[in-house]
Amino acid sequence: MADANASPGRLKYDAGFAREVYGLENGSYLKQCMQCGVCAVSCATFKIMDYSPRRLFALIRAGRKEQAMKSNTMWMCTSCLMCKARCPRGIPIIDVMHDLKGLALKQGYVNYPQAALYEAFWKDLACRGKVFTGGVIKNYVLKRGLNNLPKIIGQQKDVGLKMLSHGRLPLLPPKAPKGKKQLMQMVKRAQELEQKGAK
Amino acid sequence: MRYFLYPGCSMEADARFYLTSLEAVAGALDIELQELPDWNCCGATVASSVIGDAPAQVMALRNLGLAETSGGLDVVVGCSSCYMNLSQANRRFQKDPHFRALASESLAAGGMKYEGTVNVRFILEMLVNDVGYERIAARVKRPLKGLKVAGYVGCESVRVHPWEFDDPEQPVALDKLVEALGATPVPFPLKARCCGSSHNLPQTEIVTSCSRDILESAAAGEAQLMVTPCPMCQMNMDVYQSDVNKAHGTSFNIPVLFFTQLMAIAFDLAPSTYGLKANVVAPGPVLSKFGVTA
Amino acid sequence: MAKKIGVYICTGCSIGEALDIPALSNVATKEKKVPLCKENPFLCGRQGAEMIKLDIAAEGLETVVIAACSPRINYDVFDFGPSTIVERVNLREQVVWTHPADDEDTQAMAEDYLRMGITKANQSELPVPYQAENMVKSILVVGGGLAGLTAAREAALAGYQVVLVEKESSLGGFVGRMYKSAPSRPPYTELEETPMAQLLAEVAVSPLIEVHTGTTIAKIAGGPCLYDVTLQKDGQESSLRIGSIVMATGARPYDAAKLGHLGYGRYANVITGTALEDMAREGKILRPADGKAVQNAVFVLCAGSRDPEHLPYCSSSCCVESLKQALYVKERSPEANVYVIFKDVRTLGRYEEFYKKVQSEGVIFIKGEVTGISEDGSKNLSVEFADLLLGEAASAEEVDLVVLATGMVSNTVDYGAESGTEECAAGNVPTVQQPMLNLAYRQGPELPSLVYGFPDSHFICFPYETRRTGIYAAGSVRAPMDLVSSMEDATGAALKAIQCVELTSRGAAVHPRVGDMSYPEFAMQRCTQCKRCTEECPFGAINEDEKANPLPNPTRCRRCGVCMGACPERIISFKNYSVPMIGNMIKAIEVPEEDEEKPRIVVFACENDAYPALDMAGLNHLGYNAWVRVISVRCLGSMNLVWVADSLSKGIDGILLLGCKHGDDYQCHFIKGSELAETRLSKVSETLNRLQLESDRVRMVQLSIMDYDKVPGILDDFAEKLVEIGPNPYKGF
Repeated sequence: MADANASPGRLKYDAGFAREVYGLENGSYLKQCMQCGVCAVSCATFKIMDYSPRRLFALIRAGRKEQAMKSNTMWMCTSCLMCKARCPRGIPIIDVMHDLKGLALKQGYVNYPQAALYEAFWKDLACRGKVFTGGVIKNYVLKRGLNNLPKIIGQQKDVGLKMLSHGRLPLLPPKAPKGKKQLMQMVKRAQELEQKGAK
Repeated sequence: MRYFLYPGCSMEADARFYLTSLEAVAGALDIELQELPDWNCCGATVASSVIGDAPAQVMALRNLGLAETSGGLDVVVGCSSCYMNLSQANRRFQKDPHFRALASESLAAGGMKYEGTVNVRFILEMLVNDVGYERIAARVKRPLKGLKVAGYVGCESVRVHPWEFDDPEQPVALDKLVEALGATPVPFPLKARCCGSSHNLPQTEIVTSCSRDILESAAAGEAQLMVTPCPMCQMNMDVYQSDVNKAHGTSFNIPVLFFTQLMAIAFDLAPSTYGLKANVVAPGPVLSKFGVTA
Repeated sequence: MAKKIGVYICTGCSIGEALDIPALSNVATKEKKVPLCKENPFLCGRQGAEMIKLDIAAEGLETVVIAACSPRINYDVFDFGPSTIVERVNLREQVVWTHPADDEDTQAMAEDYLRMGITKANQSELPVPYQAENMVKSILVVGGGLAGLTAAREAALAGYQVVLVEKESSLGGFVGRMYKSAPSRPPYTELEETPMAQLLAEVAVSPLIEVHTGTTIAKIAGGPCLYDVTLQKDGQESSLRIGSIVMATGARPYDAAKLGHLGYGRYANVITGTALEDMAREGKILRPADGKAVQNAVFVLCAGSRDPEHLPYCSSSCCVESLKQALYVKERSPEANVYVIFKDVRTLGRYEEFYKKVQSEGVIFIKGEVTGISEDGSKNLSVEFADLLLGEAASAEEVDLVVLATGMVSNTVDYGAESGTEECAAGNVPTVQQPMLNLAYRQGPELPSLVYGFPDSHFICFPYETRRTGIYAAGSVRAPMDLVSSMEDATGAALKAIQCVELTSRGAAVHPRVGDMSYPEFAMQRCTQCKRCTEECPFGAINEDEKANPLPNPTRCRRCGVCMGACPERIISFKNYSVPMIGNMIKAIEVPEEDEEKPRIVVFACENDAYPALDMAGLNHLGYNAWVRVISVRCLGSMNLVWVADSLSKGIDGILLLGCKHGDDYQCHFIKGSELAETRLSKVSETLNRLQLESDRVRMVQLSIMDYDKVPGILDDFAEKLVEIGPNPYKGF
């Protein structure tokens, strides 16, 4: 439970962090949240979140940046869409979660294995144009640090062996698309335009 | 009927048997599936968090641009996440002029143009709407009578565009397909609940917990077999099933097939197309009474 | 007085199959000696009605008894003009549809009902409409705010003369001081100009509206169409005659001086919503303490509302008003931090779009409870509150302005130093009222209030009604409401005021007995000045003369008959409804001998809910015992206790009163008739016990029209009880 920096005294309302989040691609939708809590009870992983989506949004609006960003909430999101489909205010919650993950990665709130996986996944995808499981795992292990390797092996060993024996673990990477370079040019331009357009 | 097929990274790797059975079934139904030339990864549920929503959607749109210039056929997708990314990006491109401008300029930076004319189809929806249950039933040569099947739809595919094709929380299309194959769909309340997705590597207990609930729901309906259209779900339910049992003291033994595998079996196609060797929880015992050897 | 009566028995709707019609006819012709008795298989059809019309003309019939369906059905078909009395006998819903066909008890029931109906017809006289000299149709509107101006405009547009009286020197009221109003039109996101300018212009040019500002009402005497109103301005008095009255004197904000715990009166930068509205209208929203700009503002909703120590109720429109004012602040400084601390956000209906708009402007909503407000050396405020969404103690610091959203109090109430909030908190009516109408009525000079001091009557069924006939309350004086609702309310009240003058000028009653021409007449020579009628009349319709005799005001009367039920000397009667009439109906019932073991029960059913419930039981073919004999009464309050004596001395075994609910959530259409009946019955038990009769023989059950499924249970349960007690010992005497 990352309740780091919960102040011993009162929570002082501060609009600064709220404004920062509103500036993200989907962040301004958070203004519409009416704290009904439907997202919380719909969420597939809500029980293991430090704060439910609802509570996270309340924290953001209260200005509790450290608390919000250090929590595991957004990293638990599986993009299952249940919240987005149900939100009575039409807030695209999984997209907000993606934005928060992005913010967390940029600002270094990455103390979760999921953060490592995301970065590992992208690193592989960026150089290939497609995803190679072996590459992702390699990147992931390196990111997590070799001291975590025994634990990872312990957890995934059976799974790995099963996949291998059932012919589901390709040992070679897939054929990259020819337009790989152009693909990355497109991504780069999109990121630039997005930066420019951000309020 | 001709379509482009967007396989997605999984179909080329851990879910190759999905592709095999899908192609076989398509052939049996006189559907021509052409692999989308030079396709790239859609970004899954991960890329948008790292590079931003709009850039990730531009990545997805490249595939549609390719489809448009290669004949403009509908693009059929088998994986839930791929479907979500391609379809959402497409709709946004078609409806949001601001995004359209950004995306068009980005695609142009890679020397590509897209006019927004391509349709993105989820495999299940395409089979139901373009082929129809009746034709599918008519093609069945080996009716799976008495086989109790849990239709695990999973989360994303029904909720990307709620109600357009099926109920976003209690979908029925897959169950009806199972019926068309002669089998019996079982009541399965958690059929659209998330399997835990990409947590399988960084935090396996999340997946085993989610999967446990889902398997339990299927077992409560007396399911002998589970079918699914999503490679991520198939992996978490199938490959991790023994981890579920280990972590929770359960004794699930429910084989998890791609629904196309079951279709291939029901259509009595060549056994090499069933791909049953890839399924980790052995389907042999359950299917043996239909004369199928894994 | 033997009148020429024609009896018509319909044999349709299974009546003919279920009953022995010849035997029934004999009751009319042989027993009751009516000159004409005919049967018809389809009496409500064109031929049936024609036949009756021809008979009336040819035979000179004065009264017609229709033995067929319920009097609540086909009253238009069986209407033969104002000179013919029509009496209905319910053989369908309350006899053949609820009892077995071809059965001697069913037959006995039908025959009794026919006897009772003919008896009633014999005693009925044609009502003569009440007329008086100089009946007028003009309308007095008291109060020149939003509701008053709207009522005046609407009544004038309908062609009626209006006199508008306002105590302040200018019109406009509370809304006249507003800067802007919340949205009332799609897309419900934009602030609008208030309707005030438009309304004032329309009222000013209307030739039918006479405006008196700086004027109060010194006295109102009389009744609908006959009000004598005395106005007072600058010490001078003037009189006029008025037809009906719309009271739209509005509400005022709750006294914020009582909200010291929220910083009001202690810190200059804590203000009320009203004060903010004034600031906005003047074009500047600044800190009152030092005139600096407002960068951080906190709105506290429900300030002194929904609070057992202040106003226990919700004032309905303050949430939306605060949201509007939050936009005022943002309008002036878009970068300002605006927080709204709420208990709930009550943005009903279309206002939800407005809520979303205010959120999209960046106003932050926090569900919380303010626990304290303090001030620092530079007059910046710190608001401490329990943040219920985060489950933590929280605060907003460096706040420039705290705006308290206070609720509203009806202007009829005077929350003076002694009375007021405690009573209000208990839901009781505050005893001190502001002088407003100064009615010269025996029951008091102002409108009686209901809960929380608002002068209302049947809040569910009949908005705008008050407990005084001819006076209609509109707008926030009668219930907290927003601008849109106030205008709609005022329009409705104007319509009611018009209905009143139209009906009354013809001598007819207003709701619920709309169109009734009868009214209570007093045989004053036998009056003992006991004052029961003057005090029990639910509408204060009866004054007192110098000899302490009751002085009736027929135009103020609702024709319920509560006075008739109250009078121990039985001096009050209507032309077509009286104590001896009902007494004779009871005596017309044939009571079998004790050894036949067939009890008889008289059921007094009020016409508003109980009788329809009995009809509904019939419509649904729910069966019950055949011992009951139902007598429809206008209101259980019109029930005179002598009828209990009449019944018991006739040998009736039990008396059942069925009527509308009373109590806090009352449904009685005459306000307290049902309650009075219950009180009177409690006195009867004592008498019964002295007569060696079981008080269980008299029972009262509260019933609503929706309880028709309970009717068989209620009737059969009572019958069982009577069998248990045994037959009336006075049978056969």
